[in-house]
Amino acid sequence: MFPRVPDQHKAGKPLILNGLGVTYVLFTTVYLFLVYFSGFLKASNGVSAPLTLAVCVLFGGFMGLLDDWMDLKWRYKAFMPLIAALPLVYLAVEHGLRTSIALPFIGTIEFSGYYYFVIIPLIVMIVTNTVNQLGGLNGLETVCPAIILTGLMALSPSHLILMLGPLIFWLILAGFNLQGKIFVGNSGSFAIGMTVASFAIITDLKLPLLISIIPYVVNSSLILLTIFLTKKRASVSFDGEKLVSDHRRSLVTLITYRRPLTERQVVAIISLLTALFTAAAAAISLL
Amino acid sequence: MKKSLVNSLKSFGKLRLQINHASIIAFSALLLILFVAFTIRILPIRWEIPAGTVRLSEFDPYYQFSLTRYMVQNGLFSPYWPTPWVNTQQWYPQGLNMASSLPALPMTTAAIYSIISFIGINIDLMTFAAFVPAVIGALCSLVIYFVGKDMGGKPVGLLAALFLALSPSFLQRTSLGFYDTEILGVLSLLMFMFLFLRAIDVDRTLNSSIKYSIGAALAMAYFITAWGAAYFMLGLTVLFVFVLLLMKRYNQRLLLSYSITFGVALFVATKAPYISLSYLVSSAVIPVAGMFIVLCVSELLRHNPSAKTRLTLIVASLAVLVGGFVVLWQIGLLQNMAGKFISVLDPFLRSATPLINSVAEHRIAGWGNIYYELGIGVLFFLAGLYFTLRNPTNRNVFLLLFGLTSLYFGASMVRLLVLFAPAFSLLAAKGTLGILKPFYTLLKETPNIAIKTKRGLARVSKEYSGTAIFLVFLLLVTNLAFSPQNGGMPRVYGQAYTPVTISAASLPIAPSAPAEEWINMLSWTQHNLQATTVVCSWWDYGYWLSITGNVTTLADNATINATQIENIGFIFMANELQALKMLEKYNATYILVFITIGIGQSSTGTTYVANPGGFGDEGKWVWMARISGQARDRFIENKFIDSNSAWIDENQFGTSDNSTGAWIWNDKGKNSTIYKLMSWAKQTWCDEAGMGYIVPDQTGVQPTYFKQAYFAGLESSFIETAQKYGGIIPVVALYEIDWQKYYNDTSPTS
Repeated sequence: MFPRVPDQHKAGKPLILNGLGVTYVLFTTVYLFLVYFSGFLKASNGVSAPLTLAVCVLFGGFMGLLDDWMDLKWRYKAFMPLIAALPLVYLAVEHGLRTSIALPFIGTIEFSGYYYFVIIPLIVMIVTNTVNQLGGLNGLETVCPAIILTGLMALSPSHLILMLGPLIFWLILAGFNLQGKIFVGNSGSFAIGMTVASFAIITDLKLPLLISIIPYVVNSSLILLTIFLTKKRASVSFDGEKLVSDHRRSLVTLITYRRPLTERQVVAIISLLTALFTAAAAAISLL
Repeated sequence: MKKSLVNSLKSFGKLRLQINHASIIAFSALLLILFVAFTIRILPIRWEIPAGTVRLSEFDPYYQFSLTRYMVQNGLFSPYWPTPWVNTQQWYPQGLNMASSLPALPMTTAAIYSIISFIGINIDLMTFAAFVPAVIGALCSLVIYFVGKDMGGKPVGLLAALFLALSPSFLQRTSLGFYDTEILGVLSLLMFMFLFLRAIDVDRTLNSSIKYSIGAALAMAYFITAWGAAYFMLGLTVLFVFVLLLMKRYNQRLLLSYSITFGVALFVATKAPYISLSYLVSSAVIPVAGMFIVLCVSELLRHNPSAKTRLTLIVASLAVLVGGFVVLWQIGLLQNMAGKFISVLDPFLRSATPLINSVAEHRIAGWGNIYYELGIGVLFFLAGLYFTLRNPTNRNVFLLLFGLTSLYFGASMVRLLVLFAPAFSLLAAKGTLGILKPFYTLLKETPNIAIKTKRGLARVSKEYSGTAIFLVFLLLVTNLAFSPQNGGMPRVYGQAYTPVTISAASLPIAPSAPAEEWINMLSWTQHNLQATTVVCSWWDYGYWLSITGNVTTLADNATINATQIENIGFIFMANELQALKMLEKYNATYILVFITIGIGQSSTGTTYVANPGGFGDEGKWVWMARISGQARDRFIENKFIDSNSAWIDENQFGTSDNSTGAWIWNDKGKNSTIYKLMSWAKQTWCDEAGMGYIVPDQTGVQPTYFKQAYFAGLESSFIETAQKYGGIIPVVALYEIDWQKYYNDTSPTS
């Protein structure tokens, strides 16, 4: 059923099942519908959080499928998540979520109405796209979002039920992905990106999200700045055993710059970085 | 012989309909959609069954009903001819000129009702009228199927029909009892669209184009005589033809179809009652003539005349257009569009007019209203716009303009979201099919072909594209079955399964049984008062009181006389003596208020308190203050009030509590007539139905000159009522004016 694509970072480039992320989308949708029917999380002010999240994940998955199918241009990919921001904006308005953010050393910034109509769409757009951009290595696109999601869930125990099932399912996929048996594809990475952004907005965890995704933002900034300034793309060489790079145009190439590392080592370093930032986010918001 | 017999029998076989499997499925799906469209619209019947008759919803439908009843009793043209029917039970004392009404809806209903009565089917007229919107709603789904089929095949037609059948704003205005002008308006709009777009189709024969043009003309004429929003379609068609000219798509067929359509339509429409020849020179219709001139010039230019002739033609046509406009303007023939149409174009004009702004359906639809209405269907609408823009055929250009302009009008006024509903349905259907098409194509093609011809397709398998189709299906499910913005239940079902307004006592609730308060009050006035008895109430309840309650009222939703509404606002906001001076002018003998009570606990938690519910006059008095405040100088000038006591708006009657938002009445407010009438009704309800367990938030003030005549809502105990209505209790309070006491107290000898 699923298409096979070569694993570029394995000797012999074996064909691996791609696009398994769609199973996550289907599972999450069914799970969230069940949460809705079970009544664990009641609709507040007439807006249902599980169904809002389901719509967002569905949209993210669908966008990923489109990308898998027709290689969407970046200008479309960048702005398409804005559509998924609509249900979240509506939820935020109806639930009366905080429109300010308290930043360490800076203080509280009040966005008032701009939070709903500017900040939320920006969060959705940035998180979805940055998560999609950090991938290409076995485990990278699955383990790191799982770490962030776990952190966010730990900070919002009242909403734990919302993502418990999907997180377990995603971790199973991550296990296979880490072993190089499957790829989640764009449908997976867009869907998980959308999940992270939506969950953070629904649970009002803006600051932890902002801190957790710093590695992602660094990666995307490197990629975009390099393309903008030098019109060159990041690429990593594989000698059959280790990855190495002669430039620093992305987080992966930054880590492997003139320093040959195995794929597993690179994934471990980035995952560790993500875990550190997520732990810092948790610590700061608990203070 | 035998052979010829066999041949004859075979020829019968040719008569057999050639129906393939796909057609059967499409036909069945369409039937199912129409069935759903009709049944979902008659769900409010659940609250009407106990009464054995079906009532109308909201307020305006009662106006249409009274016109229909008059036509059934006195003939189809009786309100207009030989003398205009002036209903003296409304807008007392001058009455309401019923001949100033669009005739299509009442006339159509009266004609059909007369036919079915003639053939022996005995049905109550109000019940019949209540079913008309549901039938028309289903018919609209059928017509949009054909429009969609022309635009993108049967799938687009079917999806558009489904989307329209389940469109919340459209359903609201075509559900049981919503017997108002827009139901025929949307039907004729769709019919016009279908026929006109076929008429300008150059692939059709000339004969066919002429037939479709005449059909489109009749649909437009019907539209003009059915709903004031026909201006929208006239303007949109002119804009569409203009855009076609800009796209260099002029052809003779366009000129022919346009000329026949608008020539016949305006000729027929102006022959109908109420629509006179002056309609032709209204500023919204003049562009139709202007476009005709432009089309004629285009036809002349098509023959490649010399540069000199070309220049002369253009200058001459411009001179005719501008000159004609100036002449019509100067001689006063060019009529301005009615204020409400201008206020749709510029919604901010409405904010300066409290009378228009006080009506909820006239408010601006914010993004929240639109998202609440469409949900994630917005995605498919945007995709529809994208696909339409990518393939700008004549039909798509029309659809694009229809979508964008109706979105603007819908956003400008909540009520006009009903105009946007067909455009949304068509565009969302095109968007959905446009998104699905490549995946569907991949599913049908063999993998080899896919790999050879399309680079992208080779990347995914057939099953994978099946998953994409399933995801789109799930997205539609979240919109039509479990919409997040409505707590799971899509707005359309919540809207469908609510009683007609009067059976819900004008509350936004769906009680287990019909709410009897308003029904009892109207029955009481019908049986205890004369048709000539003048009852003063805020204009919202005017139609109910005069048409069902059979009394004479001062104002209703027709809002034809702003001065009279200001005076009613004054009656309620002034103190009793000032109010009676005004009431005397109208020979009023009764005054009515409608209040709603919300039960809450006292701050100590020991007693229950009756608070203002917010759905009755306790929520509307603000508008009474604002509207009457506009005529402050007139009231002072006419000695109804002195300048010290006069007001501009609600702020002279109290303040809003910053923490709770509750209104705190000051002394002037507590001395106003509305306050006394409402507070005494609430006190009476607490004393009688509250059985001593509930106290009002403020002790009631008994009015001096208004005696309790009949209060509907006191019959049941508070426990029964609170359970039935979910904590909001309606009370309709009718007071008799004690003129004797007033004259005794104010006579010079007293």
